[in-house]
Order: sequence, then structure tokens, then C-alpha cells
Amino acid sequence: MTNEKNRHVIPGEVIVSGNYRSEQNTFMEGNKIVSSIIGLSDIRDGNVRVIPLTGGYIPKDDDLVIGKIISHSAMSWQVNINSCYDGMLPASDVFGRDFSSHSDDLTSKLANGDLIVARIVNSDRTRDPLLTISGRELGKIDSGELLQISPSKVPRLIGKRGSMIQMIENATNANVTIGQNGLLVISCEDSNGLIKAINAIELIEEQAHIANLTDKVNEMLESKSE
Amino acid sequence: MANSPIIDTLKKTHILELLKDGKRLDGRSLDQPRELSIDIGVIPKAEGSARARLGDTEVVAGVKVQPERPFPDTGDQGMLMCTAEILPIAHPTAETGPPTPDVVELARVTDRGIRESKMLDMKQLVLEKDKSVIGIFCDNAVTDHDGNLFDVCSYATTAALNSCKLPKYEMKDDAPVKIEGEVSDPPIATLPVSVTMIRIGEHILVDPNMDEWTCLDARITITTNSDGNIVALQKGGSEGFTHEQLTNCAEMSIQVGKKIREIIKTASEGSN
Repeated sequence: MTNEKNRHVIPGEVIVSGNYRSEQNTFMEGNKIVSSIIGLSDIRDGNVRVIPLTGGYIPKDDDLVIGKIISHSAMSWQVNINSCYDGMLPASDVFGRDFSSHSDDLTSKLANGDLIVARIVNSDRTRDPLLTISGRELGKIDSGELLQISPSKVPRLIGKRGSMIQMIENATNANVTIGQNGLLVISCEDSNGLIKAINAIELIEEQAHIANLTDKVNEMLESKSE
Repeated sequence: MANSPIIDTLKKTHILELLKDGKRLDGRSLDQPRELSIDIGVIPKAEGSARARLGDTEVVAGVKVQPERPFPDTGDQGMLMCTAEILPIAHPTAETGPPTPDVVELARVTDRGIRESKMLDMKQLVLEKDKSVIGIFCDNAVTDHDGNLFDVCSYATTAALNSCKLPKYEMKDDAPVKIEGEVSDPPIATLPVSVTMIRIGEHILVDPNMDEWTCLDARITITTNSDGNIVALQKGGSEGFTHEQLTNCAEMSIQVGKKIREIIKTASEGSN
């Protein structure tokens, strides 16, 4: 079937009418499909959805997120993951199965204000999303620069199969860890590279809705490297 | 606030590293406050009002005036009351409900600055001794919170009181009656200005923003009057200051306060 070109839509705008299925961020009114948010419409194989241009972060299973420890109880840490839901990191995830709330002190491993790269194990909106930091490239962040962008612009920053972020990393020798929740940590030994990477990310956040963004970013990265 | 914001360790390290070279994260020098702007008369129905914005911290102050029965021990003086409230729109950690201890402190420090500087000549606010006096109520609403609420509340209150108009009252049958259409200027004697400084390690920083505020070891708020005399003090934080640091703070509060007083004066004159 046809792929209609993406179009900017606002809440209440009719995207298409006829025999279509309503998906993410849309609703049906008669045989019309209406957007419920500000975003880019996307019609594929008779399915209509809107890709959000604004909005907060809603945790999803298997998402990689960057979080900040904000408090702890005897059994778990509470983690701010830039969402309306706070993440929960169980102590047994860090101390192992023989964790004992009597002998182990949670603050010895992670204190308030520490940043972590975590993966969401389970998020069903009935309880706080469950996090884990056991796994490759997960755990406490010791160095780097923390940046925050709108969570809805994360897919644009990553690009198709990681093309955009790879381009930035290759051009600046920086290492960027992107959380799906809009937080990112950039580490780069060269301060010029760091500044360039930050500028590129800010450009993407500013112009995420514009076509040919990849070329623009590439142009910017090359022009400043001279 | 009960659940005060927690700064991430990366940023805190960054702030401490920069301080070693005498620098701040936002590029200010240590004794430089953020840019202050004051708008007068932002609430049309209030007798006086002001919006003070210092960097990204914003406070709206409103003054209401009404006759009151005086306190038994101060029957020959008018009544003054300053309050403060952090609205939920000001910051993610701000909640509605009864005031937390630091909001109570905020209101008291603001009130003390006005009261102890004798900004208003309270003796002129008596309608009939021991029976009826003019009550002046100044309410501060924090609409944006990026640290250092003490100073912004002080500036908003001072500006609102300085520009307010008092309605006139006369006593009829032992009760105060408002004379419609007649107003007078308040009896202003001086302009109090508070300056808050924090100590992080060995460094003293004027007008800390929220990030710096979360790193503080000790803080001090010093209010000075138009003559450059210190009229009120408030010390907070878990640690202390050395004698030398206190002297520095006092001098800084006078110098910084002088510039800020000019901004408040200019704003008030512009409104008249």
C-alpha cells in the first residue's frame, strides 16, 4: 500500500479519512482519524500513527535510561528517570542474591546524586518501573558531561540504525550514552570534540522536525573541524 | 522544601572544580549577583505590588492594606505582616499544603528585614491609639525557583511596599471608615536590601543559583538599610563561617546591596 509523506499535525487535526486503522496518539471520529498530539503523521500499510514532537518520557520495557539516585529504603534505591514515574532499583540487583538489609549498607554502593545507566526490566504502570544495572555498559557513571534533551527527540538523535549518533561520535571522538528518557552522558578526552558534540546534539534537538537533518549536522561537524 | 532537590554528582564535581580557579558554572564572578529586573504594579487590585526576577528566580509580591485592631502591647503602632509561599509551578519539588520549615524561615527572614530596618514608620499608621491602626500585609508568591529565594522575596517586598498607596481612613462612631478616592504615600524611612552569600569550602559566593545552593556548607543572609548599616542577619547550613569570612560577607552585602537598592529605586520611580 502507499506510504503517505509525513505531515505536521496538531491535536484535533484530521489526518486522513477512509478505511484506516488508528494507532499511537490518534483516535477515530466516524471514519476520520484525528491526531491527539503535536507531531508528525505517519501512514504505513493502512495504519495511522503520530510521532510526537513534544512530551515527557513514559517508561517501556527494555529501554536504556540514565537516572539519578534520589533516595533509598532498606531494600531498594529510588531513581529519578526524568519521568512521572520514579524507577526502583532493588538492592539485590547490586549486592547479589545474598543481600542482607542488616549487614549491607546501600549508600556504600550508590549514594544520593549518583548517576546510573540502567535498563528497564518491567514497567506496567501499576508499580514503579523496575530497573537493573547488571549487564554490559550498565552501572554507575563516574565521568562525563550530562545533557538533557526532550525524550521525544531521542529517536532523531540516534537516527536510522544509529546513523546520526555514529556520525557525531566518529567526527568528534566522543562517546555518547543515550538514555531513552532524554538524558545523555558524553565523554570525550578532547575538549573541542566535546563542545562540538554538544553543539551537534543541541542542533538536532532544535531542528528535529526538519527534513535533511543528517546533511545539516554533517555539514556543521565538518565545517568546524577545519 | 521537605524533598529538596538533589544535584547529580557529575555537576557537583564540576562546580567544585571550577571554584578552585575562582569560577562559577554560569560564568559570573564570585561577588556578582544575577541580573535583577523589577516590574511595579503587576497586580491591579492590590494597594502595591511588584514582580522581582533575579536570574531564573521570580517572586510576585502583593500588598494589601486594611484597618486592624492593634496588638495589646503595641497600640501606638501600625501592623505589618509578611508571608511567603512557594507555588507548585515554581519547581518540581514544591507542593501545596502546610508550609515546610524552610518556607516558614523564608517568610520570617523577609519580614525581619522590613521590620528591623524600620522601613515603615509604624507610628504614623495609627488611626486611634489602642483601638484601630492600619495593617499592611505583604504576601510573596514564588513563581519560579532557581535558588536564593531570600533575596528575591526581599527585593519584591521592598519594591511593592515602596510603591504602594495607602487608602485614607477616618474614625466614625469608633469604627474606621475608608475615605473613597483618597490615597497617600506610605511613610518610607529607608530601603532594606538583603544579600545572601553561601560558603562552599573556602569560597564565598553571592546570590547562589539552585545548583550552587545544593552544594553549600553554610549560608548567611545580611540585610542593610539605605545608610549601609546592617539591620538583620540570618545564618543557615550545617557549618559555620570564620571571623574573617564574616567580615568579608558584611562588606560584600553593603557593596552589592547598594547597587541593588539603585535598581529598586529606579523601578519605583519609573512607575510613578
